[in-house]
Amino acid sequence: MNSATEPVATLQGVAKSYRLDDVAVPVLAGIELLVRPGQFTVLLGPSGSGKTTLLNLIGCIDRADAGQVVVAGQDVAALSDDQLSDFRARHIGFIFQNFNLLPVLTAYENIEYPMLLAGLPADKRARRVGKLLQAVGLADRGRNRPGQLSGGQRQRVAIARALALKPRLVIADEPTANLDSRTGAEILDLMRHMQRRYGMSFLFSSHDPAVIKAADDTIFLRDGAIRGIRRKSASATAAAPPGQAGANGYGHDSEPDSRHNAEAADSEVMEA
Amino acid sequence: MIDLLLAVRNLLRNRRRSLATFLALVIGTTSVLFFGGYRKNIEYSMVTAYAREGGHLQVQHQDLFHYGTGDPTRYSIARYVELIEAIRRDAVLAPLVTVATPTLQLGGIASNFEDGVSRTVLGFGSVAAERNAMRRWNEYGLPMDAEPYALDGAAEDAALIGTGVARVLLLCPALGLKDCPPRVETAKVRATMAAADEADEALPDDIASLALASVAPAAATASGRGTRVDLLASSAGGAPNVISLQVLRAERQGFKELDEVFLALQLPTAQRLIYGNQPPQATAVMVQLHRTADVGRARDRLQALVREVAPAEPLAVLDFRELNPFFVQTVQMFDTIFGFIFVLIGSIVLFTVGNTMSTAVMERTVEIGTVRALGVRRAGIRRLFMLEGSLLGLAGAGAGVGLALAGAALVNSLGLSWLPPGSGDRLPLLLVVWGETTTLVGTAIGLVLIASASAWWPAHRASRLAIVDALRHT
Repeated sequence: MNSATEPVATLQGVAKSYRLDDVAVPVLAGIELLVRPGQFTVLLGPSGSGKTTLLNLIGCIDRADAGQVVVAGQDVAALSDDQLSDFRARHIGFIFQNFNLLPVLTAYENIEYPMLLAGLPADKRARRVGKLLQAVGLADRGRNRPGQLSGGQRQRVAIARALALKPRLVIADEPTANLDSRTGAEILDLMRHMQRRYGMSFLFSSHDPAVIKAADDTIFLRDGAIRGIRRKSASATAAAPPGQAGANGYGHDSEPDSRHNAEAADSEVMEA
Repeated sequence: MIDLLLAVRNLLRNRRRSLATFLALVIGTTSVLFFGGYRKNIEYSMVTAYAREGGHLQVQHQDLFHYGTGDPTRYSIARYVELIEAIRRDAVLAPLVTVATPTLQLGGIASNFEDGVSRTVLGFGSVAAERNAMRRWNEYGLPMDAEPYALDGAAEDAALIGTGVARVLLLCPALGLKDCPPRVETAKVRATMAAADEADEALPDDIASLALASVAPAAATASGRGTRVDLLASSAGGAPNVISLQVLRAERQGFKELDEVFLALQLPTAQRLIYGNQPPQATAVMVQLHRTADVGRARDRLQALVREVAPAEPLAVLDFRELNPFFVQTVQMFDTIFGFIFVLIGSIVLFTVGNTMSTAVMERTVEIGTVRALGVRRAGIRRLFMLEGSLLGLAGAGAGVGLALAGAALVNSLGLSWLPPGSGDRLPLLLVVWGETTTLVGTAIGLVLIASASAWWPAHRASRLAIVDALRHT
């Protein structure tokens, strides 16, 4: 498989629990999942369902207790902490709910930061940052620090930063949760646009109906298990203009089945 | 480069906290350097005093230093003239040496016959012109102006005495000393003196006239009336010998013990008193160098020269540290106090910087999680926080050095002086900071290292944070 067709992430039998004092609290169990390349995928589920934990595992910022996590063709369990850091820098971009920009750096420098870590030459950095600032509509705000930007502008900078090294996968944990609906819609449009433009995979967690509507694939989580996956048809996805993908319907089930059992979900995952 | 940028901006981000830590470092560095400057001043003042009075090196009989105080003339150098000539001709020593001069130390009894008082003294015979040259030595440029040696150009029978000697010999009025306390005669002393007067009256006429005749030479000198003393000493052959000396002035010596026995006279006079018509000798050859740092080199060469010139004489070469154990003890004491102060200030820096960095780690936990997620390794986090601690240390130590230099220049310009313990002379109060590269650089580097080390633990803790926990931190 080449990188355009191989799954951007594959999880098999993944389990994760956290310790609360002396008690182990299971968060995820028996996760079988395949994240398709070049798709806008949303993790959907109530609070405590394990969305963020699943994102963390796929984003390689946490390790599974059991099972196998393969991201961009790499079994991440085999990597040391330093190797995992380098892997994240090369292959994964992050967009956070609270933007998480470095407050002492300007918008320009925040976008440039991952490129500096990757050791890109100065001229290449300058060209790429300029294009990204333009792409997110902040060409004139490059010198502003995060404190001088609105929430929407900050998230635009965060998006540009996430795309700085053209990663195969962008992880976004509720990226519109701290924005008003209008700004949230703009950000969603922007992400959809960027995802199309750069052809990378986006994996979200969200409660936002607009995000869910825009998704190519929707993964339903409850109580730490995948309860269903809904995928749009390839043609519908390809035809959808930025921000309007949800209007073209879905390729599989029209609605998630709340009674969808784990076995059914597994088969659906493997089929995808 | 990005780490440096982040470190600087993060330090400037919380200016008040960074400023407080910075000021603690500045004050700490300045305090250490001020005390270091004071310590150097003590050391340089003492070296200057010792080099002026006894030179940096002395060639002595090997037993003079330990056994010679009771009878110094027993431990003298016969070939001292040849030795001094050899020093002046030697290709290695000549460029290093300012003065090489003999001295004859002797013990005796000085008496003021007119007032019927006497006391034991320690006599120092020297070549006055060369002693005068020694007094001009000032390697460290200290504002310590030594008075010209009063025996330079004076008559052969001229002498100087300590103010303590003048006091006991009742010469204060004659020498114009103002701070001599008046002598209060007790009832017992008065009774003894009255008995003596009665005895004088009872003297047979021939004895009384003999006594008067012996007084005549000293008391009859019109110009020196009341300032002559007789010095009785044991000659080299063991017989008593006496000379009459004209006291030019009384000079306060650095230490009371010396001030009460000090008597300086011309070397030929001292040699005549001790050796009479025999070949003259000296108890030591004093060698003063241009630079104190050359002591080791000069000593090695001098030892070889002594073996060449006087192979039969059991001579030793001693430096001013061996001759003045008090100097070594004083320097060691100040070094210990300096070390203690450095440790104290270092501890304050350690905790101040450590606390600042710990707070920074706590405040920036989410940022730590973010940059880790973006691909920064643990070592990168550690490097960032240690860089911040080092920068704080560097800025604080740098500014501290600047403040110490400026403060020292100000204090030095005030012309302050102080009276060292056990000394009769006031010394300039200086803070010798400028030019003390070892102290300056050592202190600055030491405090920067402490600041960096104190950032290590918070930096290490930051690097060990789990990314997901850091991102969840509120």
